[in-house]
Amino acid sequence: MKKQSKGVKDRPRISGKDFNQYKYFRPKSKKELIRIINGFQEDLTIIAGGTDLLVANYQKLYEIKNWLDLNLLDELKNIKMFDDKVEIGSMVTHQRLSKLDQIKELFPVLHQAAADVGSPQIRSRGTIGGNIVTSSPAGDLLPPLLIYDAKLKIISGEGSRVVDANEFFTGPKKNILKKGEILEKIIIPLKEDIYKGAWIKVGKRKALIISSISLALNLSMDRSNLIKKARICIGSAAPVPLRIKTAEQAILKEELTKINIEEVAQIVSEKISPIDDIRGTAKYRRQVALNITRKALSEVMNQ
Amino acid sequence: MRKKGRGMATIMFGFGYGEGFPDHSIAEIEITTDQKIKLRTAGADVGQGFLTTMVQIAAEVLKIDSSYIEIVGQDTHQAKNSGSTSATRQTFFSGNAVREAAEEVMGMIYHHGSIYFNSNYPELTVKDGEIYACDNKNGKISYWELAEIVKQKGDNLQAEASFFPETYAPDEKSGQSEKNYVAYTFMTQVIDIEVDIDTGIIEVMNVYTALDVGKAINPQNVHGQIEGGTVQGLGMALMEEQVMEKGITINPDMTNYLVPSIQDIPEFESTLIENEDSDGPFGAKGIGEPTLIAACPAVANAVYDAIGIRITSLPITPEIILNSLEENNN
Repeated sequence: MKKQSKGVKDRPRISGKDFNQYKYFRPKSKKELIRIINGFQEDLTIIAGGTDLLVANYQKLYEIKNWLDLNLLDELKNIKMFDDKVEIGSMVTHQRLSKLDQIKELFPVLHQAAADVGSPQIRSRGTIGGNIVTSSPAGDLLPPLLIYDAKLKIISGEGSRVVDANEFFTGPKKNILKKGEILEKIIIPLKEDIYKGAWIKVGKRKALIISSISLALNLSMDRSNLIKKARICIGSAAPVPLRIKTAEQAILKEELTKINIEEVAQIVSEKISPIDDIRGTAKYRRQVALNITRKALSEVMNQ
Repeated sequence: MRKKGRGMATIMFGFGYGEGFPDHSIAEIEITTDQKIKLRTAGADVGQGFLTTMVQIAAEVLKIDSSYIEIVGQDTHQAKNSGSTSATRQTFFSGNAVREAAEEVMGMIYHHGSIYFNSNYPELTVKDGEIYACDNKNGKISYWELAEIVKQKGDNLQAEASFFPETYAPDEKSGQSEKNYVAYTFMTQVIDIEVDIDTGIIEVMNVYTALDVGKAINPQNVHGQIEGGTVQGLGMALMEEQVMEKGITINPDMTNYLVPSIQDIPEFESTLIENEDSDGPFGAKGIGEPTLIAACPAVANAVYDAIGIRITSLPITPEIILNSLEENNN
C-alpha cells in the first residue's frame, strides 16, 4: 500500500460525491448550448482549452461549481473561407492557425503570432476564442486580430451580436461580454489590397514565455503604391491591446519608402501606457516599443 | 540589430568536502551462486548517471559484462554509507570504493581459482566471468561455479572497501593546507552570443568546452553533464532572478522564475581532456558542479566583446543591456 505523505490528512477531502449538487455541461450543438444558457440560472464557468483557467485555479479547481465545457462543439471548430471574409470558430486552436497554409497566406501576422504562443502542448489546447475572452493585454493573438479589423460574433439566449475586436477589450482581463454570452466566431474581412505586415514578439526566452511587449503591423497599399490603410497595434504595454491611431494616421497616403520612421516610432512609444511588472519595466517597454516600431517599418519596406 | 560577441572563462574546482572533513564512501561486492554480481552502495543517483558509472567500474575490474551486475541499496538501510550525492564527489569517492571492493574480489577469484586448479597464481587467466588454467586447455571454471565451491568451504566471494582519503583544514591566515581537496577539475569555455540591441535580449549561439575530466568513465554522460551544467549556468547568467516586493517573492513559480527552455539551448562542441592525473578511479575527476561555473563569466565577457560594456550583476537581463547602452551613449 502506498504510504500517505506528510500533511495529506490536513487537505480537504474531495470525492465525486461532493459534486453531485453541481453541474458539468458538455453540449454537442449550438442549439443545446443555447438551451443550457437559457435554462440554467446559476453561474457557469466556461472552459475551452483550459490553458488559462486550469493554471489560474491550480490546486483549487474544486472551488469551481458549475462548468460549461465547449470542447464537443464541433460547429465552433470550423474555419470557413468566403470571397470577402474568413470565419474562424472560437474553438480553433493556436496549433491549427499556425499550421494552415491559407492562414499563413491571408493573415501572416496572425499565423506567426499563433506559432509563437507557449509550447506545442499549449498551442494544441489553447484556442483563439480563449485567448480573446481571457483578454490579457499580453494575449498574443489580439494585436494581429486588431490589425486585420476582425469582428467578433457573440451569441446568447437572446440572439447574437457582432462587435469590432477593437471595441471588445475594456481592461486587463476585462471585456464587454455579459453573463450568458458566448464568443462563437471571429470574422476577418478580406480585401483585394496588397498587404504588408510584420509581427514582433519580445520575451525573455524563446518559448513558453508571456510577451514583455509585442507589435503587429499591417499596411495595405493602393494601386499607385500609396498606403491606403495602416494598422499598428501594441500588446502588453497598456491595459488592452492598443492600436496607435495617431501613428496610423501619420503614414496614411504616404509612399512606403518615404515614411518618417522616427516620427512613427516616437508616437508609438509615447501613446502606450506600460506598467512595471515581472516581464519588464515601463521604461524598458517604451524604449523597446520605439526600437521594434523602427524595426517593423524597415522590415515592411523591404518586403 | 544584433551584435556578435565571444567570451572565454576558465575555472578550477576542488571537489569533495575536503578541508579535513571525514568524507568517505563504502561499497561492497559479492559474486553469488545464481549468476549475479551484487554491488552494494548507498549512493543516490539523482539523474547524473552515478549507478551507470559504478556498474562500469565494477565490470571493468571484474572483467565481465556489465549486465551481470545488480545494484543493491541506494539506501543506508541496505548498504553502508556512501556519503552525499553532492560536492561533485560520487564518481571519485564511491567510484574508488567500488574499484577497491572489486579488486578485493578479483584477488579472491585468483586465490580460490589457483587452489581449484592446483596451480600457481600467474598461470591463470580471467575473462568474461570465467577463469582459465593456462597449463590445462580444458581447465575452465565460471565465477558462479567458483562461488559455489567457495561457499562449500564456508567462505564467500565477497568484499567490502572503504575509500577514506585524508584532507586538511586550511590555515586560517593563509587559507592554505597541505591538501585542501582530493583533486581539482579545470575547464575552459568559449561562448558565442548575439546581443539584440533593439530589445536587449541575448541569444547564446555556441558553447565550446575543454574539460579536464581525468578519465571519462562514460563519455556520453560527461558530454551530457557539460551540456546540462552549462545550460543551468546560462540560466543563472541570463534569466534566473528572484524578484522581491516588500519582502515577498513575487515570482515563486516556473512561469515567472525563468530557466532556459529547450529552444534557448545553444550548439555545443566539447573536448574531453583525459590525462588520468587524479587518484580517482582510472584517474577520473568529478565534473558535476564545475560544468556550471564558467557560463556566467564567459557570457559577461562575450557581452563586453559585443557592446563594449562591463556588466557586473546577474542575471544580465534585457533591461540591464538597454539601460547600459543608454548610459554609454550619454
